[in-house]
Amino acid sequence: MAAMELRLPVPRKVVSQGLARGSDKHLVAPGDTITTDTGYMRGHGTYMGDEKLVASVAGAVERVNKLICVKALKTRYNGEVGDIVVGRITEVQQKRWKVETNARLDSVLLLSSMNLPGGELRRRSAEDELAMRDYLQEGDLISAEVQAVFSDGAVSLHTRSLKYGKLGQGVLVQVSPSLVKRQKTHFHDLPCGASVILGNNGFIWIYPTPEQKDEEAGGFVTNLEPVPLHDREVISRLRNCILALVAQKLMLYDTSILYCYEASLPHQIKDILKPEVMQEIVLETRHRLLELEG
Amino acid sequence: MKETPLSNCERRFLLRAIEERKRLDGRQSYDYRNVRISFGADYGCCIVELGRTKVLGQVSCELVSPKLNRATEGILFFNLELSPMASPAFEPGRQSELLVKLNRLLERCLRNSKCIDTESLCVVAGVKVWQIRVDLHLLNHDGNIIDAASIAAIVALCHFRRPDVSVQGDEVTLYTPEERDPVPLSIHHMPICVSFAFFQQGTYLLVDPSEREERVMDGLLVIAMNKHREICTIQSSGGIMLLKDQVLRCSKITGVKVAEITELIQKALENDRKVRKEGGKFGFAESIPNQKISAFKMERAPVDTNDVEEQAEEIITKADPPSEVFAKPILQTPGTAQIGEGIENSWGDLEESEREEQEEDNSDDATTSGVQKMETEEISGVSKTKKEADTIILSDSEEEVVVVLEPEETRKKTRTHTSAKQENSSSKKTFNKKRKKKRTTH
Amino acid sequence: MAGLELLSDEGYRVDGRRAGELRKVRARMGVFAQADGSAYIEQGNTKVLAVVYGPHEMRGSRSKALHDRALVNCQYSMATFSTGERKRRPHGDRKSSEMTLHLKQTFEAAILTQLYPRSQIDIYVQVLQADGGNYCASVNAATLATIDAGIPMRDYVCASSAGFIEDTPLADLNYVEEAAGGPQVALALLPKSDQIALLEMNSRLHEDHLDQVIEAAIKACKDIYTVLDQVVREHVHEVTTLLGE
Repeated sequence: MAAMELRLPVPRKVVSQGLARGSDKHLVAPGDTITTDTGYMRGHGTYMGDEKLVASVAGAVERVNKLICVKALKTRYNGEVGDIVVGRITEVQQKRWKVETNARLDSVLLLSSMNLPGGELRRRSAEDELAMRDYLQEGDLISAEVQAVFSDGAVSLHTRSLKYGKLGQGVLVQVSPSLVKRQKTHFHDLPCGASVILGNNGFIWIYPTPEQKDEEAGGFVTNLEPVPLHDREVISRLRNCILALVAQKLMLYDTSILYCYEASLPHQIKDILKPEVMQEIVLETRHRLLELEG
Repeated sequence: MKETPLSNCERRFLLRAIEERKRLDGRQSYDYRNVRISFGADYGCCIVELGRTKVLGQVSCELVSPKLNRATEGILFFNLELSPMASPAFEPGRQSELLVKLNRLLERCLRNSKCIDTESLCVVAGVKVWQIRVDLHLLNHDGNIIDAASIAAIVALCHFRRPDVSVQGDEVTLYTPEERDPVPLSIHHMPICVSFAFFQQGTYLLVDPSEREERVMDGLLVIAMNKHREICTIQSSGGIMLLKDQVLRCSKITGVKVAEITELIQKALENDRKVRKEGGKFGFAESIPNQKISAFKMERAPVDTNDVEEQAEEIITKADPPSEVFAKPILQTPGTAQIGEGIENSWGDLEESEREEQEEDNSDDATTSGVQKMETEEISGVSKTKKEADTIILSDSEEEVVVVLEPEETRKKTRTHTSAKQENSSSKKTFNKKRKKKRTTH
Repeated sequence: MAGLELLSDEGYRVDGRRAGELRKVRARMGVFAQADGSAYIEQGNTKVLAVVYGPHEMRGSRSKALHDRALVNCQYSMATFSTGERKRRPHGDRKSSEMTLHLKQTFEAAILTQLYPRSQIDIYVQVLQADGGNYCASVNAATLATIDAGIPMRDYVCASSAGFIEDTPLADLNYVEEAAGGPQVALALLPKSDQIALLEMNSRLHEDHLDQVIEAAIKACKDIYTVLDQVVREHVHEVTTLLGE
């Protein structure tokens, strides 16, 4: 039985040659002039230099009526109101927690935006402030929704719903925010036996589907019962599939993850991350998605 | 000690002055400050003063074994120290970015340009060479350390004399200064650094920035040149964007400045040599000027007074006549008096009631009111005569005692602090606010 | 190395290049999946790896955060195996500190830091093999890494070195030419606007030749810009096609 696998380097194959996509997009690099017409409004990724609109990031130009912006290939998370995020508590401050969400400034979770256990609605007192650490400590993972965006770009979160709150047992996968597709809902229960939260900030949480759906605790009590082996296998397979999709730069949403999972079933879980297996699985996923689109 | 940040109004003032091509000390854009070079009693010790920036340079030498890959060359070692003596912003011990930058610049300017003949420092190849060590200490920081330091380094090196050595076969004899005169180092050329400070994204350029100017500059360009117009080092720092023509222009200016400074250095060295030969007094004690006033005589500065009178009359006719009514001093309490009212409050948005007042008596002030305002500002705090105060009402805010100010005539409306006595009283305010000056009608 | 002529009579340099020719440049973006941006560049035998993290919340002392701009934090380090002799380089030594300062200065000028108040952008550069032009290759690698991270910049920052031998300006010096001790210029340029972000010169050069040497360096920077631009466009094209939107 092989204890370790070694690979020799081989020249990379450019994958995009196999895909027939029309390159009708206007691709720019920093310093390129987009237009000299001054009638346009300047959006993200551009700056005005010498009466010309110049691109400041590398990406595709998007034009909506009079607004021109350049969407970069990879950015940090930029919060929008209503997004679902998965974050990690980094600091406990007075009356609020600082949450790391892969954005350019740490997000803020105010004590008043957090649901108290039991779901009571009351003004937060000094005792609540002192008991903050009992609710959430540094290192805890939470799921929350963006309530507002501050002027400097920092995001204010809230967990005012029973589906948000501290996360229990599961696996976290960190990807780039631009790979997570925007959908109506980001909480999915996959038929393969696990559930997944696709945070808009690129943090993806895979966890075993809970038996009962009702949680009166509002998500504070973590369920530490041992997870059965079958569930764990499903979760690790899902995680490897997500990594494979990310490596091949496919957008992540519930359908693509599910198809990838199904395409990977013939392989062993640890083989999924091998380059040729990854390519095969993702290619199959692409085909199935194309068929789905019709 | 953490450096005090420069206030925004000072920064604005300096930048505006530079835009109008004015510098705080009255220099032109391309003028250097006065360079004074004085030598110590020992050879190799000198103090260079560039305006108020002072650098002390000391050269010393030692016989050591050479580096393995350069067996026939001597070793040069440069070190610049920034101690808290120069400026409280420098902290002892910590190697800051500025220190690294200055040291590297000095090293590149003096070592890489090969101004000293290192081959001549070799005594016995592979066994013994001279190690020349140049130590520079900044004694006072008033801007442009690098120029002063480079001048100090090169002057000290030129001034230094090393002990004479003779080699006979295997025997090396080191002569003391008494036995044989010490020998000067062989210096090929003298590189001098010239700094250019850029402002407003490279639009304005100043030579030899002072400390204040350094704080508001966008970036610095240092060009080191010798008098043969060979460039030894160029270094741009501070994140400014330069254009090629700017660099070329600066190099031309550098040529001119370096020629002047080299001449100065030669003269200073020559003076010192003469003094030492003639047996006169030399050393630092002699060079520090006596800072005492020893004469009751003022230097006459010629002033061109040709058209002063005409200009003065012009100004007088244009200006408004001074007002007839002068505000009389009002004594509030023993020790506090008031003349007129203060100038306009510049703290920001006014409260409702104040805004009404302001709208009612908005008037245009003429230039002469400016003069009067100054007087009222100065005098309003000074005590005049000792009379009894009318009333003192204390506010219950946590700040100091609040005094009620009652205007002399009811026509003058003032913004007051407390009490319903005033017709225009508003909410309680603290004593710190300036009062608005109202002009009485002519 | 006496007797080694840096420029032969026929106009060939030590490695067979012409006076104004650059070394072969190979670059790749997105080498690390974990970092926000990463790039690897090979200029002849000089190999440099650059990694960019950010913009992110200030780590360490909050007091250093600038209220209106992002703080650019650089670190330049050379691997112990990068030079001919294995040399352990402590991080605080003067040469790396100077290079770090220069990198920081260059990128503070090029990155639009006003968009990210109170954040920090980290740029880490590691030289894997040093064969002359370390600073220039570092700047080029860091430019690619910053573009890969999606951090807005005014323009590319391309850097190149230039020297002057026997009245001829040479572009892109290798180690042998640098060690010979002649005048060398390192220039970092924003190609579209011809603005010089950093200019550094060592050793003696007569003022009259300055124009020629700077001109040669500017031309070399523009040549590097064409190569880097091509790499970026290919990468962007590939990723956009894969994303398929």
